[in-house]
Amino acid sequence: MSTRQAQGTTVFTAILVLIGVGVVVQLWLLTATVDALRRHESGTPLLAAIASGVVFVFNGFLVLYVFAFDRKIKNK
Amino acid sequence: MPENKTDDCLECKKKDRWREDFPIEWENDNYITRREMVKYLALGSLTIAGANFLLAGIPKLASTSVMPRTRVATASSLAPGGSKLFTYPGSQDPCIMVRQTSGELVAYSQVCTHLSCAVIHNEKDNNLFCPCHQGYFAVADGRPFAGPPSRPLPRIKLEQVDDEIFAVGVEVG
Repeated sequence: MSTRQAQGTTVFTAILVLIGVGVVVQLWLLTATVDALRRHESGTPLLAAIASGVVFVFNGFLVLYVFAFDRKIKNK
Repeated sequence: MPENKTDDCLECKKKDRWREDFPIEWENDNYITRREMVKYLALGSLTIAGANFLLAGIPKLASTSVMPRTRVATASSLAPGGSKLFTYPGSQDPCIMVRQTSGELVAYSQVCTHLSCAVIHNEKDNNLFCPCHQGYFAVADGRPFAGPPSRPLPRIKLEQVDDEIFAVGVEVG
């Protein structure tokens, strides 16, 4: 494996880990939402949903970056 | 000879079909799995975000829905300082009604706002007490005054018609 390939693998592993961490954060937000609903709180679920949406957009951006990179490599 | 050729071709075809079924080279297996993993994580992320937005919409739906009117007890059955357990608005929502020494009736959700244990009426000290983590709530307004709870107990709106007491709504403080 060349140095460039090794760097690429590291970058994609980092992206995978970032997305994984994002999903864990989203799961935490989901449990916070359920907890808030059980406590009859009305503000927290909306904030948690917005935060979850932001994390999803971030994850989506990373995934699109990976796919765009793949397409670029295939077209070369 | 031609037979051999045909056999070879069949072998080739078999090989090709095998390659079609398993197009991923052994060395690239990890590479492909990683891409698939990213894809599934993104789908999971979308699902969780969607579920979170759906759950966030529940309080809005609940606030627009009409609360039921449920008969709780007869006023004469509760002496000053006494308490009675009931469920409202659903059968899975425990509540507690207390007649204060002044004679006024108050009712609250029995679910502690700290970690959802059931609060009980402490007649001697005239407060609502959560035995799980020593949380104390005032009977008069449901506000916490000791222990870990920081939010008041949701108040159940009561209505008295003659001797009958009805629960008609929930007021979250």
